[in-house]
Amino acid sequence: MMNLFNNILPQDRKIKDAQMRATINQKLVETGERERLKELLRTRLIECGWRDQLKAHCKEVVKEKGLEHITVDDLVQEITPKGRALVPDDVKKELLQRIRTFLADQSNI
Amino acid sequence: MDNKNNHSQQNGDIGLQGMLTDVMNELIDEVTLGLCFDIHRASKIGTLFLGDTDPKSQREYEIVEKLGVDVFGQVPTKKQFECICPNCQRNLAASRFAPHLEKCMGMGRNSSRIASRRQARIAKETETSSRSTTLGKGESDDHDSPDDDNDVDWSYNVDKKVKKLKKEKLLTHSPRRNKHNKFRNGSQLINDNSSDRSGTPEPTIPSYELMTVEERKRLLLQTCGVISEHTKKMCTRSHRCPQHTDEQRQQVRVFLLGHANVEDDVHIDIDSLDDVDNQSLREALQWEVNSSASSPTDSTSTNNSTSGTKKRPPSKSSSSKNSNSKKKKSSKHVSNSVSNSHGGSSNSLTSSSLYDFE
Repeated sequence: MMNLFNNILPQDRKIKDAQMRATINQKLVETGERERLKELLRTRLIECGWRDQLKAHCKEVVKEKGLEHITVDDLVQEITPKGRALVPDDVKKELLQRIRTFLADQSNI
Repeated sequence: MDNKNNHSQQNGDIGLQGMLTDVMNELIDEVTLGLCFDIHRASKIGTLFLGDTDPKSQREYEIVEKLGVDVFGQVPTKKQFECICPNCQRNLAASRFAPHLEKCMGMGRNSSRIASRRQARIAKETETSSRSTTLGKGESDDHDSPDDDNDVDWSYNVDKKVKKLKKEKLLTHSPRRNKHNKFRNGSQLINDNSSDRSGTPEPTIPSYELMTVEERKRLLLQTCGVISEHTKKMCTRSHRCPQHTDEQRQQVRVFLLGHANVEDDVHIDIDSLDDVDNQSLREALQWEVNSSASSPTDSTSTNNSTSGTKKRPPSKSSSSKNSNSKKKKSSKHVSNSVSNSHGGSSNSLTSSSLYDFE
């Protein structure tokens, strides 16, 4: 798969990227690795207190917007960037490591 | 050419890294979305702010996350709580409250044990004091210094009381007591337990002088009696105590009673009963009756051995006497070992040299 990157044109690159992304996702889902990764991520985030932090932030947002008029989209818009930022680095590293290992196994098989 | 390759290779790697990060971000977003759904549902059904109190108490009871302090903000030292006993109205520490209450109210195993033992001791005290006073008067002629005898009896009783008190303390089963006892010499603990029956403490060499021959005989009959080198005390274990040999026991008896009792070729007649023996037999039985009248907590070994202190003619006889009295295991063993030391005279129950106190 990596050989494709030699002597490649930018526009082709984009297509190739998209293709590759799709392939990766497909592999993850097919093998069930994606679900496992998601479970692992959930556990780690609860352990490190990320969930409680974010929940407190949500409550603030709800208080701000008003309990009656809050919508899911409001929440998603407010929370998602904060959520990404609050994830601790070691959790991120662990997850990346697992994905990389998974891909390496996939190319070997 | 190479540069371009490297460049695109690096780009590829960066691209791969970027892809991995994208995958991760997607996962994070999905988890966040799950949380949002949770919160939105909670807000709509009204449970979102259910667990919150007013702002004032919320600030007051917030979880403390400092170093050296627990979550309540308290320093983790042990606080002693004091309580007042409802029975005797005393201020007590909380950890000592339960045992104190047990004793104070007189309920519970330990306190009843102590009470019954106290009763037994008092009964025995009155019994032995009455007995020993008569004894002291009777035997004063036989000994060198009558004054000393009276002193001996009196001080012996006092010592017994003191020792009994100490022994009771040692033998209580409260955890604090046993903690000290655990690390003491094992034989000493056993000695204390066994000698509780006979009521005799571990005598030291100087105290032998104070004791009458009678007491020494009694001691040596009941116990091993070997004087230990380093503590200068008599061993109060039974005759079978594995630490000392029969030779040692014999040595001690020679030392204490001051005469050698070696006999050779003693013919021991088990079953015959001479006329001579009747007198001593009757005496022995009387003695036995007297001692059995004392506290029932005494073991039968005490009763039996006292019967053995009576004077007997050296050769046979005591066999028949003993065959009438209760057969005690230790006496049998001792007589066996004694007979062995005499070149295996026979398997009678006589007490030739060790117990021949003439």
